Amino acid sequence: MHMADALVSTAVAGTMYVCSTGVAAWSVKKVKEENDPKKIPLMGVMGAFVFATQMLNFTIPGTGSSGHLCGGMMLSALLGPWAGFLTMIGVLLVQCLLFADGGLLALGCNIWNMAFYGCFVGALLIWRPIMKNGASRLKIAAASVIGCILTLQMGAFSVCLETLASGVTELPFGVFVGVMQPIHLAIGLVEGLITAAVLIFINEARPEYLWGVGESNGAEGRLSRRGTIGVLAVLAAFFGGVVSLFASAFPDGLEWSMEKVAGTAELERAGGAYASAAGIQDVTSLLPDYAFKGSESVFGTTFSGIVGGVVVVGVCVGVSLLFRFFKNKKVAEQTDNS
Amino acid sequence: MNTIENNLHTIDKLSELQQRDLWMNKLHPLTRLLSSVIYIVLVASFDKYDIVHLAIMAVYPFFCFMVGELSLKDGLYRMRVVLPLVLAVGLPNPFFDRQVLIMAGSFAITGGMVSMVVLMIKGLFTVLALYVLIATSSVEDICYALRCLHVPKTIVIVVLLIGRYIYMLGSEASRITTAYRLRAPRQKGIHYKAWGTLVGQWLIRSMDRAQVVYESMCLRGFRGDFPESKRGVRLNDVLYTLVWALVLGALRFTGAVELIGQLFVA
Amino acid sequence: MKTGTEKRVLEVSDLKYSYEKGHQVLKGVTFDVNAGENIGLIGANGVGKSTLLKLLVGLDLHFEGTIHVSGHSMSRDSLTHIREHIGYVFQDSDSQLFMSTVEEDVAFGPRNYDMSETDVEKRVADALERVHITNLRKKQVYKLSGGEKKLAAIAAILAMEPDLILMDEPSVALDPRNRRNLISVLGEIPGTKLIASHDLDFIVKTCSRTILMYDGVVRADGPTKDILENAQLLEECGL
Repeated sequence: MHMADALVSTAVAGTMYVCSTGVAAWSVKKVKEENDPKKIPLMGVMGAFVFATQMLNFTIPGTGSSGHLCGGMMLSALLGPWAGFLTMIGVLLVQCLLFADGGLLALGCNIWNMAFYGCFVGALLIWRPIMKNGASRLKIAAASVIGCILTLQMGAFSVCLETLASGVTELPFGVFVGVMQPIHLAIGLVEGLITAAVLIFINEARPEYLWGVGESNGAEGRLSRRGTIGVLAVLAAFFGGVVSLFASAFPDGLEWSMEKVAGTAELERAGGAYASAAGIQDVTSLLPDYAFKGSESVFGTTFSGIVGGVVVVGVCVGVSLLFRFFKNKKVAEQTDNS
Repeated sequence: MNTIENNLHTIDKLSELQQRDLWMNKLHPLTRLLSSVIYIVLVASFDKYDIVHLAIMAVYPFFCFMVGELSLKDGLYRMRVVLPLVLAVGLPNPFFDRQVLIMAGSFAITGGMVSMVVLMIKGLFTVLALYVLIATSSVEDICYALRCLHVPKTIVIVVLLIGRYIYMLGSEASRITTAYRLRAPRQKGIHYKAWGTLVGQWLIRSMDRAQVVYESMCLRGFRGDFPESKRGVRLNDVLYTLVWALVLGALRFTGAVELIGQLFVA
Repeated sequence: MKTGTEKRVLEVSDLKYSYEKGHQVLKGVTFDVNAGENIGLIGANGVGKSTLLKLLVGLDLHFEGTIHVSGHSMSRDSLTHIREHIGYVFQDSDSQLFMSTVEEDVAFGPRNYDMSETDVEKRVADALERVHITNLRKKQVYKLSGGEKKLAAIAAILAMEPDLILMDEPSVALDPRNRRNLISVLGEIPGTKLIASHDLDFIVKTCSRTILMYDGVVRADGPTKDILENAQLLEECGL
């Protein structure tokens, strides 16, 4: 389910980076608050472990094929959602750096699609509520299977949204989703069962290793409700963001609703995101007939305005950080020399 | 099931490439990371029909493969991971986008065909650029670059530790499967009855190991923070990124190619 | 035995320890270590050698009795201080070497004690030189052989220049050549060492004094030769 760099437009990649970075910053803060230095090596070794287990093949009974283990659900059941999320970021980055799996640009998307849903939806909305009054074989199995299926479905749906919003495919949304979701339903079921088998074993051998079992009420309960609301808010923001991206790139898909809401159907076929790209770019003589005209729709301008703003701010931050870094280096070197 | 050995071999080979004593490998890690990122972003930002300008972006991977003495075959081999999804997304384009862009004799080249090829080229270029980065920079190098960019230490330390232990746990995975296969020769993978115990025991061993790692850190003064070494920046490092940023930026955003072309046409 | 003028680096007095489940593994261990001594710690499986070593470096503070390292009494408050004076070479080198390259791993300790980069550099070079692995400096840890890993782990401890080095089964899983090499390297390293091992021949070659543990107490403490030549004593203690 790794997205590739080629499949994302810079706007989508940037948006997803912003989302993932936000969640990562929150997680870093939470992990720091826990103040458990033991967790750092545990996160590292568990990350490598999940990475290694993904190389193992598990025979699926009754079929000739094999499946793998679901990392996000597993890590958050052992480390909690925040440390699990950061560990998954590590796993995804190392996969990218060692096997060119996914890409640097698509990393923000991949973190979101695999780590965010797996860790936060999986742990906070499924695992913890089910384990509230203690763990049992059945509960672990249920949480793992439901968690894996649900988080994988969300991930697969996000892949569709991100790809379509990037405007690289002409595949109709329905077809794409219709292919992606059922495939990942099967994968999710298998991954859920494998994950369940492992977690059930852990529960019997070392129950103290499982996170969030028997946590209920009190201050912890309040915190969890706040956490849940936070997750829901981020989710809503994300879907809102992606849907609007999607809408701007493929307006005809949402034309009917626009018509109902605004009473206008003046959205042009060509995408707003590409309109702005075309504005900057010289259209080559090889493609003389190809031009965007009059496509600066309401969506187009606001959308490109937002993206432009994000990019400018991002570049500005990047340039200043860079400037500071090189300047610090220079100062450090000068003091070293003197 | 020799995929594990394949993976380990890949890691091994990559680290040999990273250890080579070449000019590219000696650039500051941040320089290598930034130039690759700039390139990938620019390539991804090309319009879906802009095949000509996109093709010119080949200059960067070309230069890096030459100077970095990398094998194109190995680079192309990395495509296999991203290829399925790129194909699935790109191949239907000619069927849905039939707008004729250009007539080559009696043959109509449609928008879908062009956008499909553009997508493939983008896939190729971005993977090659990533390969250039990872074949010259170790996980530690990238972590160092990430620290320069103020990525939180917690994340960087976790990445470092994963990089350190992945080979070891990968070898353990390989031994486990070999031992399993020797006793269950007819099975393609691990039987479902062994899923929990086999992985579970290994998991507990790994968690215990993490505990020892933690103890070992504590005994050497670890208090929740990792110390860092520093690496100086040379003029070369700054120039390298700057030159690439200018060149690639010009190729992407200005009519530099047309201007150069006019020099010759006129 | 030793005169009082010599520097005591370790004093253990009436040390008792029980596992959580109630099994008492150490039932009153008492011994001293003076600067410059090389001591072998032997005993059958499960006699508490590893537990003892872990207590000595403060990885577990739930003990009774007293431990003094270089004059500091072992407690939660003195831990940071004590760990500057005592080094521990783990049985499993892979768990000990958690950084990616040999150089980085050896530098981890000194850097944690806020040394300047120049001092760190000097410590690393020194430590690698002492165990003769300067050539492995830039190498990635996962690519080292078992013997090389052990030497790198020792270098990582030497770089902290501790008063006392504890080693848990250093010769385990080494082939004869690497084992011989380790013996000669340990012979060259000055300083105080306490080596826990089953490998009696290894103890003979590296340690002049031996402590024999049995049933949670020190059963014998004296010159290595005397203890290891006493076949009846060894037999009684399950060795």
